Amino acid sequence: MTDIARGRTLVPRLRSLSRFTFVDVVLWALRIGVLVVVVGGSVGTLIKGRYGAVQWFEFLTFGVTMGSVYALVALGYTMVYGVLRLINFAHGDIMMTGAFSGYFVATAFAGSGFLDRDPVLAMLAIMAVAVTTSTTIALLTERLAYRPFRHVRGLAPLICAIGVSFFLEQTFRGAFGAGVRAYPDPKWQKGTISVFGSSVPILQIVVVAAALISMAILYVIVQRTKMGTAMRAVSEDADAAALMGIDVDRVVVFTFALGGAMAGIAGVCYGFIFKQVYFYMGFTPGIKAFGAAVLGGIGSVPGAMLGGLFLGIVESVGPALFLDGIGIPAPYQLRDLIAFTLLIMVLIFRPYGILGERMAKKRT
Amino acid sequence: MKHSKTLTTALCSALAAFCAASAAATETKGPVTDDIGVLVIPKGAPIQIGAYWVVSGADSALGIDEKRGVEIATKDQGGTLVGHPIKLSVEDDGCNAEGGQTAATKLAANPNTAIVLGPACSSAATSGAPILWKAGITDIATATTAPKLTAPDRKPEYDGFMRTVYSDIDQGASDAKYVHDVLKAQKIVTIHDGSPYAQQLATVMDDNFKKLGGTVLSQEAVAPTDVDMHPVLTRIATEKPDVIYAPVFVAAGAQLLRQEKETPSLEKVPLIGSSGQMAPDLIEAAGDAVVGYRITYPDVSPEAMGSGYPKFVDAYKAEYGEAPISGFHANAYDGADLAFKAIEKVAKTDASGSTYIGRKALRDAVLTIKFDGVSGPIACDEHGQCAKFKPAVYEFTNGDPKTFKIGVNPKKIWP
Repeated sequence: MTDIARGRTLVPRLRSLSRFTFVDVVLWALRIGVLVVVVGGSVGTLIKGRYGAVQWFEFLTFGVTMGSVYALVALGYTMVYGVLRLINFAHGDIMMTGAFSGYFVATAFAGSGFLDRDPVLAMLAIMAVAVTTSTTIALLTERLAYRPFRHVRGLAPLICAIGVSFFLEQTFRGAFGAGVRAYPDPKWQKGTISVFGSSVPILQIVVVAAALISMAILYVIVQRTKMGTAMRAVSEDADAAALMGIDVDRVVVFTFALGGAMAGIAGVCYGFIFKQVYFYMGFTPGIKAFGAAVLGGIGSVPGAMLGGLFLGIVESVGPALFLDGIGIPAPYQLRDLIAFTLLIMVLIFRPYGILGERMAKKRT
Repeated sequence: MKHSKTLTTALCSALAAFCAASAAATETKGPVTDDIGVLVIPKGAPIQIGAYWVVSGADSALGIDEKRGVEIATKDQGGTLVGHPIKLSVEDDGCNAEGGQTAATKLAANPNTAIVLGPACSSAATSGAPILWKAGITDIATATTAPKLTAPDRKPEYDGFMRTVYSDIDQGASDAKYVHDVLKAQKIVTIHDGSPYAQQLATVMDDNFKKLGGTVLSQEAVAPTDVDMHPVLTRIATEKPDVIYAPVFVAAGAQLLRQEKETPSLEKVPLIGSSGQMAPDLIEAAGDAVVGYRITYPDVSPEAMGSGYPKFVDAYKAEYGEAPISGFHANAYDGADLAFKAIEKVAKTDASGSTYIGRKALRDAVLTIKFDGVSGPIACDEHGQCAKFKPAVYEFTNGDPKTFKIGVNPKKIWP
């Protein structure tokens, strides 16, 4: 199938038609089907003209906000995968621990009025606490749960990661109850700023800015520091890196610390956007962020950022753009369908993700 | 390959054994003959009452409140029934279909389960009740209100399902009347979350609202776990409704409430919720956005309840140190009472002190029993509908979860 995709001339292609299997037909039908829905739906929606520029802008800004949170979480997945070839399914729950610890600080600050009086300092303090908590928990899981499995082959480490996920969820449920808790709602977050003629809530700008700044710092760390170079070396070839004198254990610990810190920031952002925290809140964003990491090319740091943003935007704009036009009632119920269809399409047609090609090629 | 073949064979034989075991057949044990089976409780052994409710997560107040109602009913019964101590085993159904299936399977797997109470959520009942009835166990639900569960055309696998709570066919009609006649709305949008309760209630509402001459602009849907409501609200804003009616549960309801106020041109449009949201957790999750929020609900003021209600509430407060945390405790109490009365009616004890209960006879007995419960009169029709709806609308007045008290915050504003 990839031979065909590589674009030969028509004649050999027709000749290879006899080698067309049932699976090929289904895959092509799937491509065409999705294309028809996307194009037909978009044209239909635009012709109907139900949404004006203001609405599209709103969809887009919210998609970017959501996407930057996904991107932060996806970074944790992708870095750990790069270094250990382990899908850390507990990463969504590590985000939850950050959101929870941030919640306690935020409510305390809101109660004393500090959050309203000095927003910048208060937000930094909340993030610092969340980052500390989630980093600590990420390091503990690495040391206690993953390191003993480091040299075990097969699925054991993955199962262990799922176990850690349950463990974290149920521990938080036991400690803080199963109910939903709400982040405070300070006045300054409700304000809006006018951008290109439409108003954008300050909160969204704060979230996007926080995400972009942390991603920039992370990128510099990975690309410019000694530790970052070691990280990239281990992700290329752990054995060779060890032979070159790189302490692989230290690199792994550092990777988990970075991922945990990003998850902590993502947790606080998520908490302030959606206001609700509870023990199971990490699951869905965790799965979505994992999808984003795969979308961008798992193992690739810029890929995770791009994948997160892309997923957030498609999720936000997609139901209105693709589904409204073909007359599907209640399109928003199908938002997760769009997100996961996107993921499946990537897995089928570009298994190495948007930016993952180079690395995938080198490893094989 | 070989491995999987062995596995398949094992699975098939296990399935066959399961089907053979659960096939209904006339059975005679001791003095009792029954069409689908006889439960024997040896002398001194407990009589096991199963139950499944949502006792974790955002909607846990709903389930815990009902569990308490049943516990008080058990206490009022003296803790024993037909000479056996009552043992209540509660399973968590998480207020979803998967949870209902797991909980019902677990209860049905216990051959000593006499009768089952609950659940609170229609999604759990939709998947759970057939499993229980297949095992010959009668299920008395305590807060599940989806119309189809007791509709005249329900499937035979729901024959063992009864409820001591109203059907949404009545609530939907009354809600439509309130929105149309009192709020004077002409154009509405409804939002459900895909659960049987919300979807069927929204549909009944739509039908009734159209009958009254109003327009339903669209029926939207979200997922119960959705946190991002901006896109759906943006879409609704383009339709310019007078009222948005969203009978969803606590988590999604709180998100809608918060985010609706942030959506341009929807700030002033009233959002109306429904009975899945009567819980302190709604205030906790929605914060100050809850002030002024109205939900339609059965009338649970003492005047609207049965004569035994004030005494029951006193017992509740004495036992748990707080006022009822949700609205279906009285229905649960009556459900348990109905179960006890039915068991007393059909149970037969032999000379050795063992008790025999015919499973079909128990189901039929539930349908015939009539009494004045603490929630109002209980009398089942042939499809298992045992209670009526008394409409009301409640409005939240304070954003502090500690002030939650049904009748005060939220307070009854209609009728």
